Amino acid sequence: MSSISIEDTDGRREILRRMLTIREFDSTAGDLFADGEIPGFVHLYIGEEAVAVGACAALDEEDYITSTHRGHGHCIAKGLDPNRMMAELFGRRDGYCNGKGGSMHIADVEANMLGANGIVGAGPPLATGAALTSQFKGEDRIALAFLGDGAVAQGQVHEAINLAATWDLPAVFLVENNHFGEGTPADEQHNIENLSETAESYNIPGFTVDGMDVTAVNEAVAEARERARNGEGPTLIEADTYRYRGHFEGDPEPYRDEEDVKHWQERDPIDTFAERLIDRGDLTEAELEEMRSEIAAEIEAAVEYARDADLPDPSEAYDDMFGEPVPEIEEFASRLRADGAGGDSR
Amino acid sequence: MAAPTIGLLVNPAAGRDVRRLTGGATVSDTYGKRRAAECVLAGVGLADDPVDVVVAPDGGEIGQRTVAEADRSNVRLLDVAVGGTSADTHRAAAAFRERVDAVVVFGGDGTTRDLAIEIGDVPLLAVSTGTNNVVPTPVDGTVAGAAAAFLATGAVDADDATYRHTMIEARVDDGRSIRGLATVGVVDQSFVGTRAVLDPDDFLGGGVSRAARGEVGLSGVAGALTRVDPDDGRGVALELDADAERSVTAITVPGVVERVGVAGWSHLDPGDERVFAVEEAVVSVDGERELEVQNAEIGVRPVPDGPRLVDFDAVFEAAPLAADAHAVERR
Amino acid sequence: MSTQPETASSDRTETLTVREAIRAALREEMEQDEDVFVMGEDVGKFGGVLDVTDGLFEQFGGERVRDTPISEAGFVGAGVGAAATGSRPVVEVMFSDFLGVSGEQIMNQMAKMRYMFGGKIEMPVTIRTTEGGGMGAASQHSGTPHTWFAHFPGLKAVTPGTPAAAKGLLKSAIRSNDPVFFFENKMMYEQSGEVPTDPGYTLPIGEASVEREGEDVTVVATQRLVGESLDVAEDLAGETSVEVIDVRSLYPLDTDTLADSIRKTGRMVVADESPISYGVHAEIVTRMVENEFFSLDAPLQRVGVPDTHIPFSSPLEDEVVPDGDDVRDAISQVV
Repeated sequence: MSSISIEDTDGRREILRRMLTIREFDSTAGDLFADGEIPGFVHLYIGEEAVAVGACAALDEEDYITSTHRGHGHCIAKGLDPNRMMAELFGRRDGYCNGKGGSMHIADVEANMLGANGIVGAGPPLATGAALTSQFKGEDRIALAFLGDGAVAQGQVHEAINLAATWDLPAVFLVENNHFGEGTPADEQHNIENLSETAESYNIPGFTVDGMDVTAVNEAVAEARERARNGEGPTLIEADTYRYRGHFEGDPEPYRDEEDVKHWQERDPIDTFAERLIDRGDLTEAELEEMRSEIAAEIEAAVEYARDADLPDPSEAYDDMFGEPVPEIEEFASRLRADGAGGDSR
Repeated sequence: MAAPTIGLLVNPAAGRDVRRLTGGATVSDTYGKRRAAECVLAGVGLADDPVDVVVAPDGGEIGQRTVAEADRSNVRLLDVAVGGTSADTHRAAAAFRERVDAVVVFGGDGTTRDLAIEIGDVPLLAVSTGTNNVVPTPVDGTVAGAAAAFLATGAVDADDATYRHTMIEARVDDGRSIRGLATVGVVDQSFVGTRAVLDPDDFLGGGVSRAARGEVGLSGVAGALTRVDPDDGRGVALELDADAERSVTAITVPGVVERVGVAGWSHLDPGDERVFAVEEAVVSVDGERELEVQNAEIGVRPVPDGPRLVDFDAVFEAAPLAADAHAVERR
Repeated sequence: MSTQPETASSDRTETLTVREAIRAALREEMEQDEDVFVMGEDVGKFGGVLDVTDGLFEQFGGERVRDTPISEAGFVGAGVGAAATGSRPVVEVMFSDFLGVSGEQIMNQMAKMRYMFGGKIEMPVTIRTTEGGGMGAASQHSGTPHTWFAHFPGLKAVTPGTPAAAKGLLKSAIRSNDPVFFFENKMMYEQSGEVPTDPGYTLPIGEASVEREGEDVTVVATQRLVGESLDVAEDLAGETSVEVIDVRSLYPLDTDTLADSIRKTGRMVVADESPISYGVHAEIVTRMVENEFFSLDAPLQRVGVPDTHIPFSSPLEDEVVPDGDDVRDAISQVV
C-alpha cells in the first residue's frame, strides 16, 4: 500500500502539508545557514517538493529510498522528524546521525531511508543493493533511488541501473532533472534532452513526467512500484523540475537568469496544488493559512529543539567506526586525550 | 509572392509519458524524432518547385537543432517563444496559419488537436509519434515531406487530398468547454492526476467523432458498434458500464484487447447532444484528463468544422509524374 | 556474530590447499547462514576464474552464487546496499587491480556509512580479491594494493599466509558486521596445510600468529612470504634462529604479538609483497619503533616490491617480486 493516497481528500491534504513542510524547513535552514548557525554545506530542495512528496506518497513505509546531497525534501517526504533533522544540521547529539553526518548525510535506517549522500551518483548502486536484498529474501518491498540530472552522467549510475535491469530487481530510479548539475546547465552535460531516454538502452521503461505536478510524479511512481513488486524489474522516471536556489547556499549563481526562475515559479508545485485543492473544495483558503502557520510553528519548534539540544562530547568522535572496535582507535584516542588535545575547549 | 512554404512541428514530449509503463505504447525518442524531422527536409525535394520550410522551436530543441544542422537558406526557425508546454504548439499553430501552405506535425492525437485548434484551413499532415493515436498516420518523414511539398506547390490540389475532420466537444454546465479531435471521455475519477487515462474501466462514457474497429480507445469501442468516418460530420455517444449486460471487444489501449461493457450508445448528428449528469468526474479529451467537474451536467456533441487533414494516399494518387518521366521512357 | 576464537569441538584437521580452504569457508558459512550470498564475475557457473568458487553454484544455485556483469562499481555498490539492508554478501573482485573501478562505493559508502550515520547501520560485507605477481599476468593483474584498504578508515583488511588462516579468517570476515577485505595471494592457491574441520572454527581478525619460534631475528610476513620465510628459517636452522610470524590481519594489526617477538629477538624483517614505500612495512616498523624502541638491536628491514609495477617478462617479474631469497638477504643484513 502506498503510504499516502492521493485519491482521497485527507491524502491530498497530507501531500500538501509535506510539501509545505519541506519548503518551510529548507527556507529556515537557508536563513540559519546565512546567519552562521548551521555550518558546512547546505543544499536546498526548494522548488522540487513535488518530486519527493509525490514519490514517497506512492511508496510503502517498508520501501527503501536512497537520497542525494539535496536530501532534506526526501527525508521529510519519507516521514522523518524535522526536530531530529534540524538537530543534525546543528551538529547535535540528538540528530539522526548523532551529529556525525550533517545536512549531506541524514539517514534513518528504521524509516528505510538509506541516507542522503555527498557523492553524486552514489545512491543508485545502494538502491540496487537494497532491491537485491528484497529479491534475495523474497520480500515485498522496493527500493527507490532519487538522483539528480548530473548523476545520469556518472558511470556507477549506469552500472547500477544495468545490474537492476539485468536481474529484474524491484527498484525505481527517479531522476530529478532540476536543469543544473551543480553550476552547469544540464544541456551542457548531456547530449539527450529527455534523460529518461537512457532507459531504452537497459530495455526498461523510461518516461518523463512533470516534476512540478505532484500528482504526475505520484502516479508514475505508483505504477513503477507495482511493476517492481510484480517482478518486472526497474523503471526509470525523469521528473522535470527546477531548483529555485543555488546549488549550495551561498552559490553566486552566475549560470542562470532571474527570468528562468520566474518562469518556473509560475508553475510552483505547492501553489498550483494548493489552488487545485481549494478549487475542488478539499481545502479552504482559511484552512490553508492555518496549515501554513502550523507548519511554521512546527519548524520554529524544530529550530528551538536543535538549539537546545546537547552537542556531542568530543570523545564521541571515536565511536561508531566499527561494530567490533579496533584497538588502534582506542589507543590513539587515549593518547590524544591524555595529552589534553581534543579536550573540552568547546 | 513568397515561395511555397511548409511548416514543421515536432512535439518533444509525445510518446514519452507514463503509458509506456501501463500499456504497450511504444517509446519515441528524441533522436528518432530529430531524424524524422531531417527526413521531412529531404522529402520536400520530391516536388519540382523549391519549397521553404519553417520549423517551430520546441522545449526539446529538436526543431532548433534540425534547423541548425540543415544549414540551408530555405530552412528557417519560426520566431515564437518556447515554454516547454502545449502552449508552444498553440503559438506555433497561430503563426503557421498566416504564413505556410501546409504543416507537418509529429505527435499524437493530443499534439494534433493542439495544432488543429489554431491552424484554420491550412492542410495538416499529422504523423504519428504519440501514444493512443487515432488521427495521425504512421508514415516516414521523407514521405510526409514530399506530400507536404506537393500540396504547398500546388502540384496536388488540396481539395483532392484533404478532408474536414469532425471534432467532438464537451460542454460543462458551469460554462467550461473543451474540444477533442477524436474523443471526449467522462472518467469516473475525482481528480485529474496525470493527464493520461490509464485504466479504460474508469470511463463512464463519452463521445467520439469517428468510429472504426481498428482504432485504439473510445473510438475503437464505438467502432465495435457502428462505423463513422471522421469526415461524416457526426459522432457517437457511448455509455459504458463494466457490469452492463452487453459488451464488445475493443483495443482499449495499446497492447490490450478486452471486453468493454456498453450500457447504451447512439449516433450524434450535428446539433445532437448527449448529456452526462455526474457528481464527481473528470473530462478527458483524446485520452488525456483535462477538467475536474463536480455535480455537473456535461453535454457532448459533434462539431463538424474541424481541421483539414491530409490523406497521404490521396496525395500520391493525385501527384504528378516526374517532370522528366517521359524523357526517361523514350530512352 | 563474534569473531572471538571459538572452542573447537574437535581438534580434527584435514589437508587442504588455500583454494580448498577458502571454498570450504564459503560453503560452511552459506550452509549455516541463509543471509550469506556470493557474487562476482564468473563466480557461478564458471566456478571462479581461479576455480575458488567451483561447486558452490551447483550446491546453492544462482540466487546465492550470482554471476555479475563486468561492473565492479555496480556490484560492489550493490553489495554495500545489500549489506546495509540485512544481507551478508561476499563480493569477489576478480583481481585487486580492479578495485579502483569500485573505488567510490568502497571509500565513501562502505567505509563511511556506519560512522556518518552515527553507528545506526551495520555493514556486513566481505570483499574477496586476488593479489600478487608471479604468473606473468603483468601490471594490471598482479598488483598488491592492500595497503590502501588497510590504511582507509572504516575498513578491515586480512592477508592469510596459510590454508588454516585462510579458512578461519574468511569465516570471521563473513560473520563480521564490519566491511572486511580478504586478500588472496594468487600464487598460494595450491599451497596446502592442515586445516581444522570443525564448522565452528574461526580465527579472530586482529591476531597475528607465530608460525615458527626463534631467538635471533623476527620475520614478520604476509601471504606467500609466510611460507617462503618458513623455508628460509628451516634452511638457516642451526646457523640463525629465525622466528616467523604470519601477520594475518593488516587492520586491525596485532601490535602485541609483534612487540613480544622483537623484545626477544631485537631484530626484524618485514616481508610483504606490497610496494615498499608508505606501506604495511612502514606501519609495522613504526609500531615497533613506538613500542619497542629500546629493544631494537639493528635497523629494521623491509622486503617488498621496489615501488615498481609488476612487469610481464619473467626476468623482469622475478627481479621485482620479493621471495625467500630477498628475506634471506635481509636477515643477513642484521644478523
